[in-house]
Amino acid sequence: MQPDFAELQRFLLDCPPFDELDAEQRLAAIEQMQAVYLNKHNVESLFKEHSPALYIVRSGVFDLIAPDDTVIERLESHDLFGFPSLLSGRPVVNRLAVEADGIVYICPEPVFNQLRRASKAFEHYFIRAHGQRLLEEQKSERGASRSRATGHHLQLPISDVLRRKLVQMPSNATIRSAAERMSQEQVSSILIIDPPDTLAGILTDRDLRNRVVAQGLDYELQVNAVMTPAPATVYGRQSLMDALALMTQHNIHHLPVLNDKDEPIGMITNTDLMRQQRSEPVMLISALNKAASLDELIDEAQHMPAYIQTFAARVHDSTIVGRLLASLTDTMTRRLIELYEREHGVAPAAYAWLAFGSQGRQDQTLSSDQDNGLLLADDLNAQQQDWFKGLGDFVCDGLYRCGIPLCPGDIMASNQDCRRSLSGWLDRFSNWTTSPTPKALMYCQIFFDSRMVVGNKRLYNKYRAEVAKLGQSEFFLGNLARLQSNVPVPLGLFNRFRSTESGKDSDLINIKRYGIALINDIVRTYSLHAGLTEPGTLARLQELKGSRLLNRGDNQALGEAWLFLSGLRLQHQLEVWGTDKPKNALDPDELSTLTRRQLKSAFRIIKEAQQGVGLKFGRTG
Amino acid sequence: MVFSSITNWFKRRRQLARPWQAVRYIALDLETSGLHPQTDSLLAMAWIELKPPLLDYRSARYYLLGQQDTDLKQSPVVHGLRQQHFADPVDPQQALKELAGVLNGAVLVCHHVQLDWQFLKAAASRYDIRLRPLALFDTLQFDARRLRKQQHHIERGSLTLASCRQRYQLPIYQAHHAFDDAVGCGELFLAQAYHFGGRARVSVGEIIRQTRSA
Repeated sequence: MQPDFAELQRFLLDCPPFDELDAEQRLAAIEQMQAVYLNKHNVESLFKEHSPALYIVRSGVFDLIAPDDTVIERLESHDLFGFPSLLSGRPVVNRLAVEADGIVYICPEPVFNQLRRASKAFEHYFIRAHGQRLLEEQKSERGASRSRATGHHLQLPISDVLRRKLVQMPSNATIRSAAERMSQEQVSSILIIDPPDTLAGILTDRDLRNRVVAQGLDYELQVNAVMTPAPATVYGRQSLMDALALMTQHNIHHLPVLNDKDEPIGMITNTDLMRQQRSEPVMLISALNKAASLDELIDEAQHMPAYIQTFAARVHDSTIVGRLLASLTDTMTRRLIELYEREHGVAPAAYAWLAFGSQGRQDQTLSSDQDNGLLLADDLNAQQQDWFKGLGDFVCDGLYRCGIPLCPGDIMASNQDCRRSLSGWLDRFSNWTTSPTPKALMYCQIFFDSRMVVGNKRLYNKYRAEVAKLGQSEFFLGNLARLQSNVPVPLGLFNRFRSTESGKDSDLINIKRYGIALINDIVRTYSLHAGLTEPGTLARLQELKGSRLLNRGDNQALGEAWLFLSGLRLQHQLEVWGTDKPKNALDPDELSTLTRRQLKSAFRIIKEAQQGVGLKFGRTG
Repeated sequence: MVFSSITNWFKRRRQLARPWQAVRYIALDLETSGLHPQTDSLLAMAWIELKPPLLDYRSARYYLLGQQDTDLKQSPVVHGLRQQHFADPVDPQQALKELAGVLNGAVLVCHHVQLDWQFLKAAASRYDIRLRPLALFDTLQFDARRLRKQQHHIERGSLTLASCRQRYQLPIYQAHHAFDDAVGCGELFLAQAYHFGGRARVSVGEIIRQTRSA
């Protein structure tokens, strides 16, 4: 009779991918395993006598050493090794050195192969681990059904909710015929499409009211005289969150939807978004938009943290939370500007309200502070300057009272230094790019992640293009790259975690500063070099595909590491919310075995990316 | 008869002179209804075979030996054994025969081996089975001797299986099932043996002698 192997069962349940096996498969594996007491007297014969096999460390500490005598990895409890030669069929070339004696389980090749055949998840784990792709999202059946059941509807692709058929007119149709068509179809907007399937513009109820009736235009004119040409669009494969973000960003209510061939396939409106069940984000945004006074706005904003928490717990995709928070901050900013204008009259000159840092990149968290500024028209007089000073003070204070912390570095539009004309900003940027001090270098980076929240598009675009040009300076990029490659990634010798904090937090690792922010920085460097103006890290990576400097594999790995770390940070922040525990630092010992392995893997990717960015840019300048 | 016992003696001496890594070991743990081999009964036994440095899970065995009316006495408290565990008991004779087979020529390893050995002998003699291990190794005595040699004061509780394992940084096991204890004892033996006789050529006999009172 066989024992029940309770102890080993329990251990393997905490040792991915053995947790993916069912109890029977796990038992069958145990019944054929061996355990070795590995120590310096027998370590040399392990591979000779027992390979190929999968080895599972139960206790002790061992170093895996490459033929050139470099330590590949320090192996400790729950670590697996030996699978590369099982998968590749190549003999083991590495050797082991014993740091502390211990028990290692040996799972022989036939058993390993049997388990691979029995469980897809088990097989996939090793294929991913072998390709150093542990962070790749698992597309198992189980995972897919789970995310669909518990996911938030904002993650649905837009094409899933397009129901109405496309209502369209050519651009040479008359305004009257377009209006008649809209009333027949009972729609509030119509797409203007020229053959063959080219989106020319969009015409809305509001356009008819403001640009036709109010102006007393002739209804027999062609629609192209009054439509909005080249409107913002989304693709059907994008998520409802994408649509929501775009709508709040441009303050519009209608978005034409295109297929991948850029042909229009429909329209999505904010009513469509509201109609979706449990559409609190849309409600919250619309409540913020409707707030009639500062006090009302502050009242509405009080709901935000609690709301974001329940929302974040439901969504599968952590990026959606960062984007929603940025959308909410954008909305509050716009509403505050409108409230200020009501009190002090409209802006006396062209300007753009700039969001920097996490709001700019749209990866905001509940603990992110404000980073904003004002881009102003040239040659303002003192009175105009005062109007904008008042605006900066009012909005930053308003955001603070709505729960967005003040920036400790004073990167805020309330600071005179962050209210500049185009040439004023460019002076500042060229100071950074031509003669940076180390501190300024570190601090200037978030200014390169900018987005206009509201204001004059032409002014902003000019600014963005000029800033992009300055950002391409090789001298500057070289300095950035050297700075980035010197940040100590929290993996010590032998790939062990190393604490990044001190004092009472000395067991913790700051995954923002040494993880997410470092990836943001590295990706920014590539993106500045390529002259891109996109501020978001994932969006930058998307645009960098095909770049000769950053190959596809590294690009993907950085994106996966960023996604993993952002998800981990969100999870952590939900856990510690309301306590005084650090929001961006966590204890790796409190993570599950799989998460710990993935965290190591993410830091390894960052380490390689640091070396890459150092080699490619760091030598010049 | 005399001749055969003499050849056996020589055979055994030859075996004991071999390097300790060259022979088989059976790490074993028993569950009993008490501490007296003559009056208390054997409830369960578990073992695993060792060929240094390996513990072979393919050889793992666990047998419940009791009858429905077995007097459990203290046992439910100690081992969590209850009557329902004996719903499907194994014929003790079969189990002991199998043990006799694997034990033949192997070293029996237990934590406090004398107690287990007395129980095994008493049970085996009831079925006229002869258990002929090459020798007995006591993981408890090994550590007791080592501690005494280092002139340590031996504190209460410092010789339990768990405490001994801790001294060799072996993993902490939560379960106290006879099988887990057999594995725990087997691992402890390997740790002790490698610490004592890992480097030079050390014979089985020499290893065994380390478990006698100094």
